[in-house]
Amino acid sequence: MEELFFIQNDVAPALWKGLLVSIRLIVPSAVFGLVIGVFVGVLRVFGNPFLTRLADLYVALFRGFPLVVQLFIWYFGLPHIGIYFTPYVASVIAFSLCSGAYHSEYVRGALLSIKRGQMLAAKSLGFSKIRMIRHVVLPQAVRRALPGCGNEIIYLIKYSSLAYMITCIELTGQGKIIASETFKYTEVFMIVGAVYLVLTSAAAWGLHRLEARVRIPGFQH
Amino acid sequence: MSEKKVILRAENLTKRYGDKEVLKNASFSIREGELKILIGPSGGGKSTLLQCINFLVRPEAGRVWLDGREVLYHRKRELYAYRQKVGMIFQDFNLFDHLTAVGNVEIALIHVRGMDREEARTRASSELERVGLREHMEKYPAQLSGGQKQRVSIARALAMDPVVMLLDEPTSALDPELISEVLSVIRDLRANGMTMIMSTHQIGFAGELADEILFMEDGVIVETGSPKKLFSQAECQRTREFFLKIVEIYGESR
Repeated sequence: MEELFFIQNDVAPALWKGLLVSIRLIVPSAVFGLVIGVFVGVLRVFGNPFLTRLADLYVALFRGFPLVVQLFIWYFGLPHIGIYFTPYVASVIAFSLCSGAYHSEYVRGALLSIKRGQMLAAKSLGFSKIRMIRHVVLPQAVRRALPGCGNEIIYLIKYSSLAYMITCIELTGQGKIIASETFKYTEVFMIVGAVYLVLTSAAAWGLHRLEARVRIPGFQH
Repeated sequence: MSEKKVILRAENLTKRYGDKEVLKNASFSIREGELKILIGPSGGGKSTLLQCINFLVRPEAGRVWLDGREVLYHRKRELYAYRQKVGMIFQDFNLFDHLTAVGNVEIALIHVRGMDREEARTRASSELERVGLREHMEKYPAQLSGGQKQRVSIARALAMDPVVMLLDEPTSALDPELISEVLSVIRDLRANGMTMIMSTHQIGFAGELADEILFMEDGVIVETGSPKKLFSQAECQRTREFFLKIVEIYGESR
């Protein structure tokens, strides 16, 4: 009985607050990450040599640095050169850039899978390179990249929990506060874990629906 | 009657891949309404020549004129405008896999010519009707047969109102039974006065319809002449051998 009251009165409101912060972190990071990923993926395949190198460098850096380290740099490091971000903004920037690097890899793979002949056909009809990418290549590549990108979004939901390390108190952060006040680590983190499981399951379901909606006969080989 | 005007002229087109010259000083011209057919062994430069004409492959040297105006293909805008006037048909159809038949035909009308969607749809439908695909407009490429796919690609090219069409072995990837449906569309185009350059191994078709046959080998246009001349009294020994072989395989002209 005591347990239930504890959950209802202390845990639930705090975790609810944390959950809202988590969602406010995840949604924009997922959107920006995807936009960056598509843009960088296109540059890596179709850019001029200079831009391609630059994009490769971006991916190497943001995929190579541990995400916690990136968060620390955005939040603790940049103030030394006079750039200040709130914990929330620093987190969204770090998540978007990291996520974008991974997305770009999936997008790049998908772009490379589009048959060259279709690009020749588009050019022969008078398409400029940019219009060809926009109207012929990307609509196909995005469909092919969707499973990989969905995977990355599910990762993002989980690694958004790192935001509490730079004092952006989201779901995990709230859980940690309650747990250390009450020493009920097991109970609290089981609940926190379950909430993430619900989030990732919902995302997986949504992504699956999306894949089904944009499916084209015979396109998946 | 005065000669029809020259629509397309190419001079000294040359293309190298590394040390290998795959196209050597190829020159030709084609008049309004003519059908010229490129014949020759695979790897002889037929595809390269066709792709150099609309600069899908950048030639190392050579010039091209359309309607008497030189194509300044280093200028992007000019190149894109030029390509709209030169329709191209590929051996592998190269339809856009994510679009229906009608989507394939209208996409360039919308995004290249800037037509509004409704107008583009109307135009695309009528082009598909012209190639006999009215019932298949909403099908995706994967749901069409090879012959149907090739006819969609012809409709797609025609929708841009090209003044000349380049056909790169349009029937080579087709089952024998489907070849005739594509050839009959090309025959109709010819009857309606479309100017075309086509590479093919369909010797019968070439004999029946070509105004002129260009025999190509090792990147060189070896010999040019009417089908009659090339079939029976080619000047070049190599041309004679090739025609003997190909007639043996594909049959005499019908």
